Amino acid sequence: MIGSGKSRNDLPLEASIPAGTAPLESILCTEELQRRPSRPPDYEKENRALVKLVSALADSPSTIFQTLAETILDVTQCDSAGLSLLTKDGKTPHVEGQRFYWPAICGMWNPHVGGGTPRNFGPCGDVLDQNRTLLFTHFERRYPYLMPVSPAAEECLLVPFYVDGKAVGTIWGIMHSDHRKFDAEDDRVMASLGKFASSGYQSWMQIEDLKIQVAKREKAEAEVRELASGLEAKIRRLVEANVVGIVMWNLEGTITGANEAFLHTAQYDREDLAAGRVCWKDLTPPEWSDRDEQAIAQLKATGIFQPFEKEFFRKDGGRVPILLGGALFEGSGNEGVAFVLDLTEQKQQESARLYSEERYRVVVETASDAVVSIDDEGSIVFANPATATIFGYNPAELAGKPLTLLMPEYMRELHQAGLKRYLATGQRHMNWQGTELTALRKNGEEFPVEVSFGEVTRDGHKTFTGFLRDISTRKQAEQALRRSEAFLAEAQYLSHTGSFSWRVATDEITWSEQLYRIYELENSVPVTLELIRTRVHPEDLTLYEKMVEEARNGGSDFEWQYRLLMPDHSIKYMHALARSTRDQDGQLEYIAAVQDVTARRLAEEARDKARSELTHVARVTSLGTLTASIAHELNQPLSGIVTNASTCMRMLAADPPNVDGARETARRTIRDGNRASEVVTRLRALFTKKDAATESVDLNEAAREVIALSSSELRRSQVTLRQEFADDLPTLTGDRVQLQQVILNLLRNASEAMSTVDDRPRELLVRTERDEGDRVRLSVKDAGVGFTPHVADKVFEAFYTTKTDGMGIGLSVSRSIIEAHHGRLWAAQNDGPGATFSFSIPCRQEEGLTSDNTGAATGMGSARDAA
Amino acid sequence: MESQPETSSIERPLVSVVDDDESVRESLPDLLKEFGFAARAFSSPEEFLASDCVGQTKCLILDIAMPGMSGPDLQRELKLRRQEIPIIFITASTDKTVRPRLLEQGAVDCLFKPFSDTALLAALNAALRVN
Repeated sequence: MIGSGKSRNDLPLEASIPAGTAPLESILCTEELQRRPSRPPDYEKENRALVKLVSALADSPSTIFQTLAETILDVTQCDSAGLSLLTKDGKTPHVEGQRFYWPAICGMWNPHVGGGTPRNFGPCGDVLDQNRTLLFTHFERRYPYLMPVSPAAEECLLVPFYVDGKAVGTIWGIMHSDHRKFDAEDDRVMASLGKFASSGYQSWMQIEDLKIQVAKREKAEAEVRELASGLEAKIRRLVEANVVGIVMWNLEGTITGANEAFLHTAQYDREDLAAGRVCWKDLTPPEWSDRDEQAIAQLKATGIFQPFEKEFFRKDGGRVPILLGGALFEGSGNEGVAFVLDLTEQKQQESARLYSEERYRVVVETASDAVVSIDDEGSIVFANPATATIFGYNPAELAGKPLTLLMPEYMRELHQAGLKRYLATGQRHMNWQGTELTALRKNGEEFPVEVSFGEVTRDGHKTFTGFLRDISTRKQAEQALRRSEAFLAEAQYLSHTGSFSWRVATDEITWSEQLYRIYELENSVPVTLELIRTRVHPEDLTLYEKMVEEARNGGSDFEWQYRLLMPDHSIKYMHALARSTRDQDGQLEYIAAVQDVTARRLAEEARDKARSELTHVARVTSLGTLTASIAHELNQPLSGIVTNASTCMRMLAADPPNVDGARETARRTIRDGNRASEVVTRLRALFTKKDAATESVDLNEAAREVIALSSSELRRSQVTLRQEFADDLPTLTGDRVQLQQVILNLLRNASEAMSTVDDRPRELLVRTERDEGDRVRLSVKDAGVGFTPHVADKVFEAFYTTKTDGMGIGLSVSRSIIEAHHGRLWAAQNDGPGATFSFSIPCRQEEGLTSDNTGAATGMGSARDAA
Repeated sequence: MESQPETSSIERPLVSVVDDDESVRESLPDLLKEFGFAARAFSSPEEFLASDCVGQTKCLILDIAMPGMSGPDLQRELKLRRQEIPIIFITASTDKTVRPRLLEQGAVDCLFKPFSDTALLAALNAALRVN
């Protein structure tokens, strides 16, 4: 069924007349209309129909086809009525449509609404082809596809339907039976209604078109409005955000509007703008005028100009780099908008970048180190001028060459492997900063270099840049320094001298190797005052602490002697000399030399044994200076002997001989001879070399003998000697001769101390007495010049003397002797004029005489004790 | 050398001895008397100066080193008193350097103890010749 919805378009468009179908003429009977009797026109009915059509047009134009079909049915009294319209899309009428469709049908065919027929094979097509009204009878005979459409059409009257003067369809009526036939009146009425409907449809279509156009226009306008408002908002935001400068301008050169960003860039204010003082032509430096002209030409041609960089003058005359771009307002031809981007910062950054690059370039070009870059294959891509100096290669000559060229043969493979490994694993197998390697000069010479390098990755490829410093000179200097340090260390070792520095503020102490050795500490142990303290001999700790305290406060050089008590209980004697300095920061620092004088001390002890020899020598020497008085002592009795003997001989030779006189002179001769003999005996005792003899000594008797020996000398020095000897003095054990030597020294010393005294008696008092603790004491008190405490400190020092003659050895030796007797010798200033020298020794020598005479060597200290 | 009889001592020239050593004072006058001089001994210059012998002494035998005034001190003192007495110094010292100095200052001689009787006599003769 053609009329049924789905199948209505099933017919092929090229459907053609099948063979054996009826010819067109056989189904047309149009001429019958004129021949049939025509009923009279019913104008009232026709008018009603027209009104109906008009009201349909006014009320609901879309129903106009339906209304038209109903109207035809009504005025022609046919069985079915409808429209066929050419269409392409099955809906809209179109002259070039290839198919008719039925938009409205009334009457018996009503169910076939929506169906249709082919353009070129059907009654409607025939109507359009002939462009006139046609009457068909049983068209299914020619057009068999209409055969199933029921009921069958006895007669069908079709009138062309025009739109815009073109036939685009038909209106038709059908009689399904022969009870009535169409006549001329039907033809006229349908043509009339068709014309009306055609114009009505046309009007409607125009109105619809208009409506569509209006709607389109309204929609377009709304879109434009929306776009405009969005764009406006965006532009406003852009202007107000002041990220870029925005200006309104005209071709005359005036800037009519601008945002804050622009004003800020150009350093103008709103007032300047309002007063029309801001003119882009004035803002442009002369050398940019040409570029502006280009932009204006482009603007005039295209309405816009491409952004370009130029400069503007600021209000203060300074220049500001900008990026400028803009467009003319559409239709204005004179005014436009432009954006102005301040490039100052970019330019500065760029300048800074260029400067930075330039700086690096200068650094690299002028570096005294060789700077060499390689790619990830180890080929040299860059070498600086210093490379020529260091390696002997021209930088250009090196480009593209492998870096291994600069290494000795044996390192090359290693380098390649290392580079490959690093690229593969990213693991560094060597220190990249300050590694010392061996390099190879062009002339084949190998030399030490210090290499530092880094990497840069670009496009997935690594470049390595290294600084290679020729350290041959430094190496030599290091060697020299090491040698010098070795010498110093050797010297310190040989001299048993260590050194240290002590920064007092931080207690930072640095020791030389030798000092560690002396203290018997590991080199790695950090040295602290506390650590040193643990080594100091307990008896010297107070001294040590005092020294540290004074050094902290004082800041002056110091010297001290102390002992160390080593873990094995051995004792080391130390002698430290410290000099205070100030470091760079003005902080107190001591630099000190510490000598291990233990060996010297031991040597001194050995020497002290030898000192007893010296004591003897000194005694002889000392007595040698007494030779004159000894000779004098002997010469006196000898003189008497000679004179008496001469007299005796003369008396005996007289005539008569004077026998009595001769006897008397002979007696005196014998007496003087005995006197001389006594002197000789005493001298023999003094001159006899003995080891420290231990014998029982009566100190009184020993003193008397010395006094007797010295008496004439003392007398000649006009010294009056008094003696106060204790009666109950115990004997002591000791070396009589040595003790007499001491007494003799004291007497001479006292006598000499009084040699310049003229205003008082030159009195000398020798006293012996018992001393506490089973000791005996002998003192010699003079009335001489005495001494100042300063001198008291020194009188016992060897070779110290206030006398212009003499060796000054006497008191020092005396002290050694007394101390060998475990005694003490000291000096004290008298209440009155002069001084008293005393010694006190124990009567019993428990351990015999000692040769430990260190007291004599460090006489200074002991003298202070005695004082 | 001829000895002089003791009885004619009044006419004999007086030789004074000043020495702090007793053995000299004991022995030397005896020898001088054997030589034929009159002799007096003093233990110190002060004693000599205080005696009545200063003007009569024809020769002075003088020890150098003595407590109190020394021999040279006495020599100077006598010069001050215009007592031109020839002086023979004697000394137990072994220091030979004193001799030229003493001779320069007007001593007749300087004898070192112990000295022989002939040396003493020669010095005395020289002294008396000067006188």
